[in-house]
Parts: sequence; C-alpha cells; structure tokens
Amino acid sequence: MKRLKQFAYHEPTTLADAIGALAAGGPTARVLAGGTDLIVDMKIDRLPTTAVVNIKRIPGLVGIEDLGDATRIGALTKVTDVEESTLVKERHPALAAAASILASPPVRALATIGGNVGRASPASDLGPALIVSDARARIRGVEGQRDILVEDLYIGPGQTSLACSDIITDLVVPNPSPGFGSAHVKLGKRGSGTDIAMAGASASIIIRNGVIEDCKVALASLGPTPLRATIAEESLRGREAAEEALAEAAVAAAEQATPIGDIRASASYRMTLARVLTLRALRAAVESAEERGAS
Amino acid sequence: MTTYVGSRVPRVDSVDKVTGHAIYGVDVALPGMLHGAVVRSPYPHARIVAIDTSAAEKAPGVKAVVTGKDFPHLFGAAIKDQPFLAIDRVRYVGDPVVAVAATSEREAQYARDLVRVEYEQLPAITDMRLALADDAPLVHPDMHTYERGGHEIIPHTNCNTLYRYQRGDVEAAFAEADLVVEGEYSAHAVSHVALEVHVAVAQYDQFSGDYTLWVTTDRPFFLRDDLAGGLGVDGSKVRLKVAQVGGSFGAKGVPIAEAIAAVLARNTDGRPVKVELTREECLIASQLRVPAIMKLKTGVNKDGFMIARSADVLWDSGAYTAYTVGVAIRGSQTIVGPYRIPNLRILSRQVYTNKAITGSYRGYGTTQVTWACESQMDEIARELGIDPVEFRLQNGYEEGDSYLNGQIMHGVGLRETIETARDEIGWGSVDRAPAPHLRRGKGIATMIKPTMTPSSSNVVINLGEDARVQVVCAAPEIGSGQDTVLAQMAADAVGVPLDDVSVPATDTALTPYNGPVASSRTTYHMGNAIVSAGNEIKGKILELAGKTFGVDPDYLEMRDGEIFDGEGELLVTLKNLLARYHGEGLSLTAGGRYTSAQSQLLKANPGEEWISSIFWMLCTQAAEIEVDTETGVIRVIKVAASADVGKAINPLTCEQQIEGGVVMGLSNGILEDFKISNGRIENGTLADYKVATIQDMPEIVPILVESVHNEAPFGAKGIGEPAAAATPPAIANALFDAVGIRITDLPITPEKVLAALSEKKEAEPGD
Amino acid sequence: MTIHLESTINGRSVGINVDPTLTLLEVLRENLFLIGTKEGCGVGECGTCVVLLDGTPVTSCLVLAGDADGRDVETVEGLAPDGELNEVQQAFVKSGAFQCGFCTPAMVLSATALLRRNSSPNEEEMKQALGGILCRCGAYPKILEAIIAATGEGA
Repeated sequence: MKRLKQFAYHEPTTLADAIGALAAGGPTARVLAGGTDLIVDMKIDRLPTTAVVNIKRIPGLVGIEDLGDATRIGALTKVTDVEESTLVKERHPALAAAASILASPPVRALATIGGNVGRASPASDLGPALIVSDARARIRGVEGQRDILVEDLYIGPGQTSLACSDIITDLVVPNPSPGFGSAHVKLGKRGSGTDIAMAGASASIIIRNGVIEDCKVALASLGPTPLRATIAEESLRGREAAEEALAEAAVAAAEQATPIGDIRASASYRMTLARVLTLRALRAAVESAEERGAS
Repeated sequence: MTTYVGSRVPRVDSVDKVTGHAIYGVDVALPGMLHGAVVRSPYPHARIVAIDTSAAEKAPGVKAVVTGKDFPHLFGAAIKDQPFLAIDRVRYVGDPVVAVAATSEREAQYARDLVRVEYEQLPAITDMRLALADDAPLVHPDMHTYERGGHEIIPHTNCNTLYRYQRGDVEAAFAEADLVVEGEYSAHAVSHVALEVHVAVAQYDQFSGDYTLWVTTDRPFFLRDDLAGGLGVDGSKVRLKVAQVGGSFGAKGVPIAEAIAAVLARNTDGRPVKVELTREECLIASQLRVPAIMKLKTGVNKDGFMIARSADVLWDSGAYTAYTVGVAIRGSQTIVGPYRIPNLRILSRQVYTNKAITGSYRGYGTTQVTWACESQMDEIARELGIDPVEFRLQNGYEEGDSYLNGQIMHGVGLRETIETARDEIGWGSVDRAPAPHLRRGKGIATMIKPTMTPSSSNVVINLGEDARVQVVCAAPEIGSGQDTVLAQMAADAVGVPLDDVSVPATDTALTPYNGPVASSRTTYHMGNAIVSAGNEIKGKILELAGKTFGVDPDYLEMRDGEIFDGEGELLVTLKNLLARYHGEGLSLTAGGRYTSAQSQLLKANPGEEWISSIFWMLCTQAAEIEVDTETGVIRVIKVAASADVGKAINPLTCEQQIEGGVVMGLSNGILEDFKISNGRIENGTLADYKVATIQDMPEIVPILVESVHNEAPFGAKGIGEPAAAATPPAIANALFDAVGIRITDLPITPEKVLAALSEKKEAEPGD
Repeated sequence: MTIHLESTINGRSVGINVDPTLTLLEVLRENLFLIGTKEGCGVGECGTCVVLLDGTPVTSCLVLAGDADGRDVETVEGLAPDGELNEVQQAFVKSGAFQCGFCTPAMVLSATALLRRNSSPNEEEMKQALGGILCRCGAYPKILEAIIAATGEGA
C-alpha cells in the first residue's frame, strides 16, 4: 500500500490559527481542503509536504448562499454540492456542468471548489467555468481579507498569485445579466467522462435582441493556466449568434491557445480540440441563453 | 442426465465476495510480519557502480536490507535470465535493485528512500525494431550461457526466441494469386491492471530450509517451480498457499512480489515478510502484454479462397523473458487465423529490449496476432469486393478440417459463431447517426486459439462421513468462476447437492499437481479429472448401497444426494446410507487425473504433433460503432460476441467471461496507451493509463455456441481468453465501414483517427 | 502524535486514538480490521476503496483519519449486519455481478447509496454513480443488470 510520509498535522478551528500554522510551516506547509489533489501529490512525491493544515474545523467555509446579487460558495463546498445546487444550475450552467464532469462521483464528494481553484491545475474544470462566470475568490491572509478575480489568481501550472499563508474562503459569483447563458464541455482520454481534460472549454454569452452583447470564453488544458480566449470573445460582440460567427470565434480561440504536447495529447490534437470544443461550448451557451429566455 | 451442469446456478463464491469476506493476498497478515519495499532502477540500462545501504540499515524499524550481490540467483520459466535483485546491472526502468524489510510498510518505504545507488549509464536499446541491428547494445551479453529449454535463440544478439514454420510453396502461390495484400500491423504493450496489486508474504525456516509463501497466483505449481529453480532448491522446499486472487489475466504467474519476499525472508530470522507493490510499480515493473510488429502478406484467388500467407513477427520481451517465449512461438502460429491456407511461411523473432518485462496476457499472443489477421481479412474482402462475413465463412475451418500441422480438428463451431454474431448485429444495414459529424459503421472479426497442450490436471475428491464433498485441486479461483464450474461438475459426477461440494483453497503441499489456471484449460482438464474421480466415488457408494440393501449396484443411480433403484424409486439418501456406517467413520477418497498427452486427437504430421491443441477456441465478434469525425472519438455502441464453448457448464460464468473479455478488448483497443520515452513509461499511474469504466461499456450480447467436444467433460471447452482478442479488430473494421480509414497500429486513439481522417480528406478532396 | 476519533462505524460508536497521518482506508483496514475495503491504486483513480461517509461514496484512500471524526462511516461489512444480504447484495449474487470480487465491496456500497437516494434511477444515472470504480474483470453488464433488478424494475 502506498504510505504517506510523516508530516505535522494541524486542525485549527479559526482562520487566524490556520494562517498562523501555514505561516509557521513555510513553503512546504499545505492547506488540506478536499484532499483529492493534495493527498495524491503527497503519495506520489509530487509536492514536498512537511505540514498539513486541515481547515475543515473552521466554521463558515461550507455552503452555497444567495447574496441577492451574487452567489457565495464557501471554499470547502464539495464539488458534488456545486453540481447539485439548484441555485448554481439556474444561475451558472457552465459551473454546474463543469462540476458534474470533474473526476468521478466518489472523488467529487470529497473535492472542494476552493481546493480545485487553489490547486491551479491547467486542466481544471471549474477554473474556466468560474472565469466565464466572472467569479471572484475571497482570500484571507496575514494582511486580512481581499477579493481577486479567479482569472487573475492563476499564474502558471499549479501556481497562483496567493502567498503560502493565504486561504481561499469563498467564491463569489455575480448574478448574470438578462440574456445570459453559459456552458462547459471537455474531452478526456475516456470519451465517457470520469477523466482529466485533454482539453475543455467554457463559454458564457449575453444575447439581447438576437445580438451577442457580451461573451467570455475560457479554455482548459490549452495553456499553462485556465486561459481566456479574448480574441474569440471580441469577434463575437455585436454579432448575431449564428453558426458562422461561432465557428469563426472557435478558430480565433484555437489561435490563442498555447497547448503543450504531453502524455495525454499532442499539442496539435489539442489545437484541433480547442476549436471543436470552443464551438461546442459556444453553441451550448447560446442554447442555454435561449432556454433561459434570451431573445 | 445432469442436475447442475448446464444450469445457471449462482457462483459458489457469491456471498464471500458481496460481503467483503473473501480473503485476498493483500489481506494476509501473520504474527510478527515485516513489510518490504524495493529500490528500483531509474535508468533503462546501467551498470551498478556502488550501493550504499548504511543509512537505510540504521533507519527505524529496519530488519533487513538485501542487494543482488547478497543473493546472486537467476530465475525464469523458459530462460533463466532474471535475477531476484539486479546483480551488476539494471536492464529497465523499475528493475529491482535493493529490498528493504521493516516492521511497518511506512518504515520500509522511508528506509528505501535512504538507499543510495551509484549507476553508470549504458547505451540502451528501447526500440524493438533496432534490437537486431549489428551495433545494437546487448541487454544480455551472456544469454548463450543461461540455462534454458529447447527453443532456438540467436546467440550474441538480442534475439531470445527464433521460430520458423513452413508449409507448401508460399512464393509460388503468391505468384499464382489473383490478389496479394500486404501490411504491417502492430499491437502495443498493455497492462493487466488486475485490481489487486502484486503481493506476497514469505517465510523462511532456517532449520528445514523450507520457504512458505502466501500468494495470489493463477499457476501455483509453475510459480513454485520457477521460484524453486531460482532459489536453487527442490520444488518440495517451496510451499505456496493461495489466497483469493483479485484478478490475474495472465499477470500473476511469474515471481514478482514473490521473488522479493523470498529474498527478504531469507534475511529476517524466520519472520514473515509481506511485499505489496504499489499500483505504479505494477504498471511499470510487473509485466505487460508483449508488443508485436507483424508483417503479414496474404495471397487469394479471385473466387476469394486464401492460398498463401507469410508472416514476419517481431516480439518485444522487454528486459527478461518471463513467459514470452511461448507467446512468440504459439502466438505466431495463430496468425494464420481460423482459416484453411495451404501455403504458409512464418518467421517469429523475439528480442530483448531495455524496457518493462512483458509476458503472458489473456490470450497468450492471440490478441496481438488476431489484430493483424483480422484487420487484413477485412482489407482483402474489401479489395475483392466480397462481403467480409462471406469471405470468412468461405475460408473458415469446419469440423474435420485439418489444422496447419495436419491435426484433424474436432469441436469446430466457427461457422455458427460467425453467423450468430452477424445476425445479432444486423449485418448489412447501418443506422443513421443522430448528428452530421457522427458516423456509424459495423465490423466483424473472428479468432482461434489453441490451449496449452499437452498438459495435465489432478484432483483428489473426498466424500466425508457427513456426505460433504471436497474437490481438492490446485486451480485457484482467479475470478473466472472455476470454483463454481468445478463444483458443478463434481456435484453431478458424484451425484450430490451442489451445496455439499466445496473447493478448498490451493496449497501446493496438499493439493495435487495441476497445470496453470491459464490458457482457458481448467474446465476441460480439471473437469475431466473430476469426472473420473467423481464417478469412482459414485461407484463405491452405489456398491455400498447395493451391499447394504442386497441389490445389484449396476441398477442403482445416485443424483443430488439420493440413491434410486432400477425403477427410479428412492432407495436411500446418501446421508442416511453413510449414517449407517457412522461408527466406522466411513469416508471415501478417489484421485482423478487427466492428461491430454496421449490423446488420439493430437495426431498430426510427424514431428509437428506438438502444434496440435486438445481443443480449439473459436469466437466471432461483430461491433457497431459511432465515430465523432471532429474529435476522432469512437463510441462502441454494441458488440455481439459469439463463442464456441463446447458446452456451457454454467451459462452465467460463460457470459461473464465473454462480457468481461469484450470490456477488456475494448479497453485495450481504444483506451489503453502507454507513453514510453527512452524506455521509460511516462504515464505509469491509473490517472493517465486509462482503463474502461462502466460508462465506456457498450451493449454486449454474449452468444454461446455449443459444438460438443467428445473428449471434454460434458463436452465443455474453454472460454476465458477468446473474447478479448476479437474486439479491437472488430472495432477497427467497423471504423473502416463508418469512415473508410484503417488504423493498423493499436491502440485506435482519437488522435490517430482524426489524423487518418484528415489524411483521407487531403487525398480525396472531392469527397 | 495521535488524535482521537469518535465516529459511527457500521452503526456502532467507535472511539479510537490514531496517527493523524494515516488515511481512513488505513484506519479501517489496519486499526479496525475492516478488510473488506480494498486499495487498488491509492490515488483515487480505481475506486476500490470506496466507503460511505455520511451516506455518500468517497475514495477512502484520499481521506485523512481526522476527517472521519464525528462522521458516519459505512463499509461493506455493515451492509449485512445480521447475516442477511441487502437487496443490492442479493441482486449481485443472482445476476453474477462480480468475477474476482476485488471491486465488489465498492460497487455494492455505491449502488446501495444510489438506491437509498433515488429508488428508481435510470441506466445513465446508474452508470454515472459507478463511473469511478474500475472492474477489470468487466462485470459491468451484470452489475448494471443487478442494480436494475434491485430497483424492482428487472423483476
């Protein structure tokens, strides 16, 4: 059986204590949220870890709350609960969809939204969906509390702009405007799902009077971080939500992608997927907007 | 008349398995047991310059640290080429170098990381195509000095197996042929991924010199002899106790965890040592399916009859031969397929490379060669303009045909498997796909496989004074249901209720010799032994009943624990009969033995009898798939899998084997894909080596064809291996049907499909 | 260092001191001798270590011991407490929904959890629910058949 190496274990009950333990533990102290990435990284020696700060005893980090003009999702909310939340499904279809295809059910039941964001995997399912939903992460650190756009959190594979002692406490997703629709699609090595993305795409769209007023596209496994496809977005603004426009945007998204070739897929195959999946995500986002009453 | 044979009874291991009570190898724990961990080579080929174990020896809990120099023995089934621990050089990434035993597994793993090994890297051969080049580095420069069986090698090269076969005049036939089709096909290395990892507990008694191992294996006696051979002791000095086996598929037959555990146990003053590999170790350092590159050339006449075939097959054993020699020989014969072809020429060579060890894998070479054979069958049929089903029917073996060595084949239900698979899939029509970027197609593939011949099985059947029957044999339950079918056959042979029959776990010190639970041979061979012993016990009981009641035993019959007279009236129950002799403590024992060695069925051309098989496995699958032409992703919609089982002892377990074979074939064929760079497996985790889940499962329709075999117990042949072989070519042929592209190198990945589609588009811009 | 766990395990209150650097899987198998739960990969990819945590299937190889404190843990050993197989187990027996049996505890637990939540799932939902557990023997068709039977639909 694969054994964990010894490490110091902390179960703080307040954020202040947790931040203190992380600060004291230095760069090899880790926040334990769901554990579905951290424990794996520790077992396969991918991430040197001398201290684990389990933040699950800290109250207030779990749950999905309607703030009126936004949805607050506690960082320790399980991916399963994001997937099943009526509020999330109604307001942010891309996020619900991304949550529903992340890993497998027994892993989703452990994995947390905050952990997934903090892990900063380029292949993250939730990252692109949060980005196209304009989500912000609420951070607590030594200096106090601050909000950062999820998009600005990612700086490289597995790297965020957060300090070692920072803790993501919430994700706050603003309510969408009228005419909004969003979607997330991905392709893993098993076409059936239950898999890490070879590539993925999230899209959100706002359609008014048949015209695309705004649009966001973010890609998974197509760059060092979850990646905005801004040229594709720009190309769609002001146009009718017709197939031709979507197809052109998909080509633009692929041009902005900077995939690597790795054990999961070659760079050129990922380029193809960037176009195909962006197009599918855009089509699905338009469909979602129409279902939600856009006209 | 049978009571249990042929009936869909629930498996006898049901309750143990659905309650989690079954004890597997990983569950074995003994008093004072230590735990092992292994230092492995990070290089494909290197000389060991120095090993520093001092820090590991001082680490907490450590009881033994062993290097190859401490234990310089070699083992190997066909060639003794494999050290227990690397002695002076490492030959693949993952080669065991140092073993550590400690009081806990965590301590062992901690100490393992403290061992320092200094290597000097050597040039490595990691591409089998280059392994026979004049300047290729040699993986085993001393191969010619190793102890080995009678097969041919090419000394002072990397070729560890050379086999040729010829019949008729192939070149003349090619010249005469109306059409000659040539192609190169390759089958990749895949992992067995038995969900239970490789594990063994070993204990050494320094006074007797006996080794006892608690193992999870499919071939206890072969493994015992392999180990004993390596340890330099008689087979009787090594005792294997077999726990439940959490899947094998050919994986669990060679010393892997067993070798390390035995070495450590020699150094722990009698304390038992458990060695349990991690999944990552299993993926890179247990054994894989033998990769093969197959050049195949076939000549046919315009009426669609096959007249000649030549095959040049290159196999890659990896760093050590394990069970690959037989794969390279038997497998290459099977590339002829289940077809009558008068002129044949086969060249098979297997090479060492500095890569992961390969070995036996469900089908023993058949999955690889079936890929080549059945892909090319489709190509030929399409070039000739003949329906692929008709082409196969026209050339396929029928009852009484002779195999390539002249053996008259018996129990040949090939035609019926083709026809039933064809009908079930709805051959000739294709459903429209639900969207324009999706395309559907259907494909068919057959397969043939011999079973290990000759081989033998022995059993002891005990009928206790309590009227319960024990079937004592070394046929571990590896998941395929042998405990159930053996118990069913024993219940009918003796004439007792199935509930009163048990099949105790294998212990090589107690259970009589058996060949492996491999090659789909158990039902047939052990079944024959059981019928023989069971009938003997029944005879003794009827004699006793006759004597007791003053009737002629010839007129008596026993079924389901009841003894009937000539009129069919109940005379006495077995329990009551035995109760009369309670004071004498009557229990009966009979031994049963079956060997195929002397069978008349094996007669063949002089000198070629060894190619005969005591029975032939035949199977046909037809697949319907849907291709996403934008992503290259294949969804298998349905597989009709028809197998000639001779006689289904239990239709349930036959279906399980067929369904499981299709799932494995699909998984091997379109999902599993090792990325190997300079001999190193880069995706050696289940996160990146993808195995089919229930969500990948197509509709599977298992079809049982029963062409009864006269020498078989109740007519039953084997079924464990065939189903996995036909699935990948059936999918590939369906892919061609759907979109006109042919993938010849496994696996059929979305990337390859997409690349082939765009190549086709460029070639036919008007399409 | 040890931590104290107060958990409900298979319906019984259990209080134990354990090393907090162990996983729930290790605690179950090695401290509590509930060996029906198996490890197949240790990294959440094979699903054989699935147990029910507060009724939900989770991969116990990725759960640290401390996270079981105060929780309800159910393993395969808890499904037939009085020697009577539950409906899913009975259906697995009848359909022959296993071969080597190594994944069976996880399959049975996951299917049981699914049916407690949703007494009449469709086939897609069944496949979804079991999509994280590998069965290399390929017992999938019969597993699906068994779950359908356990819903009463297959009768």
